[in-house]
This record gives sequence, C-alpha cells and structure tokens, in this order.
Amino acid sequence: MQEFHEHRRATAWARKSLGAVADSPRDTAGAADATEFRISAGDRLRIDALETGRLYRHVTGIDHEARLMTPQELAELGDPMATVLFRRNIFPMTVQELLAALPQPTTPSQQAVYLISEAGQIPPDTAPGLHRDIRFAITRCVQGRDVDLLVSTGANADPATTFLQVAAWDPIAKVFNYYMRITPTWVWAGNSWSALAPGSRGNGCFDSHINGSVVMKELRQPWLNWQSQAATIQLAPDDPLRGDPLYQQVSGAQNLELTVRSLVSRWTAARLAAVTADGTIEHPDHLLRHLFTTTSVNLTSSATQSATITPTGDDLPLPAGLWLNNDALLDDLALPATASLPLAPASRYVDSLTTFGFRLEEKAGGFSRTGDSFFAFVTPEAAYEDNDVVRQMVQQAIIPAKFAACALMVDFTNPVFSTDRARLMAYVPTAPTAVAALSDRIVQAILAAAAKLPATSPEARFAAAWNLTDNSWATTFAQRIDTYLGHVTARIRTPSGFDDYVRLAESRRREFRAMRLNEFELTLPVTDIPADAPRLTMLEDATVTP
Amino acid sequence: MSTINAYDPPGRLTDLDETGLKAWNVFITNSIDQAIKGPDAGQALNDSPRSQFYDLTRTDTAADATEAPVTWTAFPRRIKVHSIGDNQRWQRADASRDVQDEYCEWSVTRDPSSGKITQVMFTCEGPEYWDLLAQSSPATVLQLYRTHISPNVQQNDLFGIDGSYQRRNRWNDSTTHGAMHLIQAANTLGAEIELAAAASIVRVVNGQELTTDQELIQCGKYGEPERNSDPHIGGAVNAIARQKADIALTNPVGLYFDDLKTDGWAAPDGSDPKSYWTYRRGDATHPVRAVYEVPADRNFTVGDITINGTPIQYGAQIADFITIRLSAVACRFGQSTGQPQTACVQFPPPPAGPAAPALAAVPLSAHGYRSSPAAPSSLTTRRR
Repeated sequence: MQEFHEHRRATAWARKSLGAVADSPRDTAGAADATEFRISAGDRLRIDALETGRLYRHVTGIDHEARLMTPQELAELGDPMATVLFRRNIFPMTVQELLAALPQPTTPSQQAVYLISEAGQIPPDTAPGLHRDIRFAITRCVQGRDVDLLVSTGANADPATTFLQVAAWDPIAKVFNYYMRITPTWVWAGNSWSALAPGSRGNGCFDSHINGSVVMKELRQPWLNWQSQAATIQLAPDDPLRGDPLYQQVSGAQNLELTVRSLVSRWTAARLAAVTADGTIEHPDHLLRHLFTTTSVNLTSSATQSATITPTGDDLPLPAGLWLNNDALLDDLALPATASLPLAPASRYVDSLTTFGFRLEEKAGGFSRTGDSFFAFVTPEAAYEDNDVVRQMVQQAIIPAKFAACALMVDFTNPVFSTDRARLMAYVPTAPTAVAALSDRIVQAILAAAAKLPATSPEARFAAAWNLTDNSWATTFAQRIDTYLGHVTARIRTPSGFDDYVRLAESRRREFRAMRLNEFELTLPVTDIPADAPRLTMLEDATVTP
Repeated sequence: MSTINAYDPPGRLTDLDETGLKAWNVFITNSIDQAIKGPDAGQALNDSPRSQFYDLTRTDTAADATEAPVTWTAFPRRIKVHSIGDNQRWQRADASRDVQDEYCEWSVTRDPSSGKITQVMFTCEGPEYWDLLAQSSPATVLQLYRTHISPNVQQNDLFGIDGSYQRRNRWNDSTTHGAMHLIQAANTLGAEIELAAAASIVRVVNGQELTTDQELIQCGKYGEPERNSDPHIGGAVNAIARQKADIALTNPVGLYFDDLKTDGWAAPDGSDPKSYWTYRRGDATHPVRAVYEVPADRNFTVGDITINGTPIQYGAQIADFITIRLSAVACRFGQSTGQPQTACVQFPPPPAGPAAPALAAVPLSAHGYRSSPAAPSSLTTRRR
C-alpha cells in the first residue's frame, strides 16, 4: 500500500506517540495555519487506489478508508471548490493550477497571499541546515465579495508534491468544507460539523480546526511567525522563493487577522442559528464548553522584538491575555474596568532569559540558539473561537451577559486551562434543553451544589457572583479586575514577581505543547524549567501558586 | 527610463496654479536633496552619506526598476500595545489627533440625539502641501475647507492676524470638528522623506548585518520604534538597499490610502459596507482623503453597521481596517558601491551655552519631530 505523503513536517509531534503515523517520526499530515488541516493522524490512505478526476471522501474517525463521493454528495457541496472545479471535472494538482482554474480576481482585494514560518526569523546564513517550512496561506473571494476559499500550501517546496489543502465556505449549507489534494486527485475531509461530531472531533484536520472554523494561531499583533507589518520573514539573497509570483504578492498578516476573525464569526453565527433553530439545543454542552473550558488557544506575545530589549530600555508591556481574558471581560462584556496594562521593567525580562535558560530548539534538526522567541514573551491566551461563541450567545440572548460574566470571573486570573472553571461543566446539561431554560438550569444546579461546598469552591464563587444585584455585578467585577491588575503592576517590578510570571507563562506553554495545535518545536521557546514542573495558577493577589 | 521633469503634488491634486506647482517641486526636491545629504558629522554620526537614495528629477531610474509599495495599518500601534482591550484603545485613539500617528488622522461626526456615528472623515494629506497652498491661494484653502469640512468655515478661522495659515485651527484640531489634513506633529511628508533616506543606509554592526525592522530603527534612529509605519517603512527600504539597489520615493511623493478591508462588516439592509467608503481627494491611485458615510436616503447610519456583530461605535474601529501606503522605486540592483555603516547613529551632546535656535518649523513634542539640525525649516525632520 502506497503511503500518503503529501503532508508536512510537524516537528513538535516527533516525540509524541502517534501510533501508526508515518514512518518518519517527523512527518505527519496537516497544519494549523489559517486554512490548514490534516487528514490523518494515524490513518493510511490507499492512494494507489485513487483515480484521477474523482472526488473522494475521508473523514478521519468516521471513514476507515477513502471512498468515492456519490454524485448526490458532490451535488450537495456548495463551496467554490465543488461548484467551480470538481463538478466540472477540474482537479488542479498544484496551487498555481488551482488559482488559475478559479475565476480571476477583478480587484486586488479578491486575492491575498500570506507567508508563515516558525523559523522565518532565524537568519538563513546562521542555520543553513535548518528546515524553514515556509508556507503560503492564500485567501480568495470566488463567489461574492467575502472570502470563501482559503488555500494552504508549502512555499519552498515542489508545488506538485508539497501539501495542498483548502477550506472553502459553502453559503448554502453554511459550513467550511475541508479538502486536500492527494495526487492524483482530491479528498473531502469533512466540514465544520465534523469538528463537533463525536467520531471525528479532534481527529484528522479537526485536531487543529477544533471547532470547525479556520485557524490562525498567532491572531494578534505582532502575529508571531507570520510575515507582517511587524516583521519580514528572512530569506537568503539567492533563495528561489524570491522569484515566485506568489511570494511577490505576499501581504502582511495584519490583514489575514481581519479575515480570519470574520470567518470564525461567520461559522459561529451559522452554527448558533442552526443549533437553536427550533428553540431547543440538542447538545448544550457543546456550546457551553466554550465558556467553561479551553477548547483551543491563540498565541500572543509582546510586540517587541526580544533581541532589541536591553536592561535600560523602556518598560515592556506584556500581552494582556496573560493576565485575564480581556477580550471577553473588558470588550465583549464591557466590564467598566479602568486599569492600565501592567508594564514590566526591561531589566527583569533580560535577566529572566539567563535565569531560566531561554532558547529556541528544534531537536529534530539539531538546532539550538540562546534567547527568546522573536517577539518577547509568547504565551497562550483565550481563543477567539471560544470567545466568539460566548459573545454571540450573549448577543442572541442564548445566555445572559451576567451568566457569562459570572462564569468567566470564576478563576478569571487564569484565562486558559482553568480547572476551576472547567469543573462547572458538570452542571451543564448534556440532553436537549430549551434555549429559554438553559442558563437558569445551569445556575440552579450550581447554586444547589454551592450550598454544600466551601466558599472557596468554584461553585460557591460562581454563586457569590450570581447573587450580586443586576445593578452591581458589572462594577463589582470591574473593581476586582482593577484591584488584581494593580497587584500585578506592583509585583511585576519585583524580581520574584517577574520570575513568577515567567514560570506562569511557561506553565501555560507546557499545556499548549500538549495540544495538537503545537506542530513546530520552534513555535515556542524552551527553558530550563522542567517539563514535569507543577501546573501554576495565578491568584487574585497576583501571586502564583502550584 | 529617464528622469522626471518635476514632482507632482500629492495625489496629483489640482489645487495649485503653475507657480504653486513649481514651488511644490522645489519643496520636494530640496527635501530629498537634504535627506540624501543627511546631517553632517557635527550633528549626527554614522548617518550619512545616503548614497543609495536618489532624486527622480536628477538621477535616472534604470530599466530594472521595480516598485515597492509599503503598507501599514492606520490604527496607532503605540495606543494598541499599551491598552488592555479594544474598547480602551478605541476610546483613546478617538480622543485626540495627537495620538493618531500612523500618517492617518480622523474625525467623527455623531447624531446629536442618538450618539450614533453618522460620518468619519479620514485624511493622510501632509501639512506642507497646505502651507504652500495657503501661501499661493488662500481662497482655495477656504473653499476646500467649506467643501470638505463645513460651509460655516470662515477666513479668520484658518488664518492668523498676520495672514499666516494655521495648521491647527478650529476645523482641524480635534477628532470631532473635522480633519482637513494631518496635524499630528510627526505626520509630515518631510518626515517620510527623511525616514526613507536614513533607512537606505545598510548597517553591519559588530560584523552582523542588521535586517529586522526594530533593530534597524533602533540603530538608525530614523523614527519611532513604537509605530506601525516607521519601522516598517525603514525595514522595507533597507531590504532594498541590502540588495545593493538605489531607492527613491515614487512620484508623486506622498502618503496614500491603500484600502479599507470590510471582512466581517454587515449593513442592516444587506448592502455592501464598502460602498460607503469614498475617496474625496487625490487621483484614482493616490487617494488622500476618504469619508465613511451612509447616504441620507438609506434608513440607517454608520453606527448601525456591524463588524463581526459589534456595532461601529468609534472611528478607530474603522481605522483598524484601513491601510496606508507609500511607494518606493528601486533600480540598479546589485550595482551600488556604497559601503555599510559599521556603527549606529549617535547624536553628540548639545553644545554648552545658550540654547541653539530651533530649526524645525513645527513644535517639538513627545510624539512628534525632532529637527535634524542640518536641515532648513520643515525639510528634513526626523520622526521621534
């Protein structure tokens, strides 16, 4: 049986047990950039049996092997790949053929090309043997004025053999369809609902497209790893990529951020409309996990290049997402907090690089270099795709704003990977529940449990918040946030305080490393902090504790 | 290709008469000449010559020329990275023109009863053009203000007792009463020219070639590292210089609106939100003035348009989606014989004794310019 090979390296998975993943431990399919997905984490496709010019389906976790899509199945796909290409028996085998086969853009804004590489800021002449894994992400408006097709493919590799994957929006079914080329044809790998279905959730491409939408991990300024207005991916003077017409169209990731946010929101809106259409939510836990748990994360960092920070430099604003879920609490729920962003003394940051042995490492390639990631202090933050579900649920009155705020204020100093907040999922019904009864049912269950639990329990903390009056909860929460950030602002200037926050960020990075979203060793810096160090928690007095 | 005869006005605007056009060309060529020369060693070390920067009117553009557009987001980065959330940063950016430092400034008009935004006007026109226009044709300036800002603008609103044009006047000094042209102290064409020229110096410090935007701006000291624009412009220019090419700013020298993206925007009636973005000054490829406004015959306003489901409540929300552009032209790739600077820019301590006279035409401020001592008034000024 011929191996499926049109995939890309995922160096961070090399040391994980992946069962039947490809023979080379460094080779796994897929990616987690704007449009990327993987079709197999352990599957082997019988690609020797695939016929040219036929569309197959293979939804990992559902389909044991690829099979031909029926004419009816193909007719039900309403995205541009299906309607413009496959239904007309057009099966482009390279990204160039794909873009040429689509209706040509009539304005520059109808196509945009972006570039990403986790090794992109390591000067090529200093690490000549380092795989740079440069990829294109390409957005296209095919059937209207909005982006409806996203391509992900290798940039510095043979276009005929590098991975080529597409996420395409179906305006009728209101889902993203996920495709990948497996020479000599294409495979449909599922749609957005597949990400939520028990069999396929977390499998194949849905281990990064966790909730069914496109993914851009580094979604916020300075868009670490992406070429942007903040940084240019470094190429050798004679790199043939310079002559690639696609490379010459590359624009900054600041634009892709806007596109990806809108696409995530598009899917969230479609999803909520579908699951609430008859007034009953069949799987309330599927929605509420976005509020109580961390289904995914984004990566954020300071906007300052780490190598330019000197002990006598200006204070360093660390990313707000390190301290709290600022997007949800301060923007979406508009809690009237007035605190400023805590600033760290540059000298503390510089000292920490030595204290903790910061370095970039790719063990798979034998690469190691002292120092932090290109932009300083990268850390996971609450995922836009989680927050967007919560925001839209509030906007559509599926849950009240107060309910969302009370949930998020439980352990609000730990915006991601909070076990306390996750514990409240136990009170979310898993059976079909009327929209009108949903939040009240959860609240009553938590209140009942809280009555029998200590005041420090997550249930009791939620209950205390819930018992605030409608006129006072927002200001009370805002005051707690202001007080907490005041403590952070003071502690971050102390050696022990700053080092605690370095350990806290590393603790959260360890959690991220355990996720399939973490594909490349060079995505994050490593430190001397042991990999089995206890998970750390931030308290409201801005101290850090195991 | 050959030289051009003269630099056109920004956006190829048609306000100037023949005399004004000649004066504008002189202003630009003088600014470029001064920027090519750079400060002498008594004023700044390791900041000249700028041998790879050239004047389109005096030096040929070779056949291998390529254009290199540089774009950046209009929302001020300094505000963004120092704010704890979107609401806070939008409020801050909408509060003062002095923080709108990405070569784009705006003013917001609201419905007095509902508070909803009805119009946001954006400008990226440098103030120097208006200084010159005011000298050559004050009546035109008044007419333009009445056309674009308010019919109520009066002559003495714009001109001082001595007849001099006031860049900051009651119709152009706030985020609520109109934005005719740039007034933030660092937002000038002179700064753009000086920045591009200074960034054309290749630097190899301690044996290492500097290549990143932030390293280059820290070493070259040609602008404010905390902006989107300055490091990015400098990085793009320097990347060309490192290919041993010559660089010039394209004609017409200026700052232009590149685009308004509307991903995730929705109008209440399903109409295209981008259709409400119109350019009001500049030619088709060099717009310098834009307005976001819903026509009166529609049954909604800007404040009813949503972005990913959230209504537009601030002009700054729109600025998040605007990109500003300048364009450079590069040629003679691989032919430059200029040698890299091996050290960073250093400013000598100010001389003892009476304070030296200020040479910049604009007031210095924490957010604005610091004059380049070698430069004549308002020509080469360094963004700081």
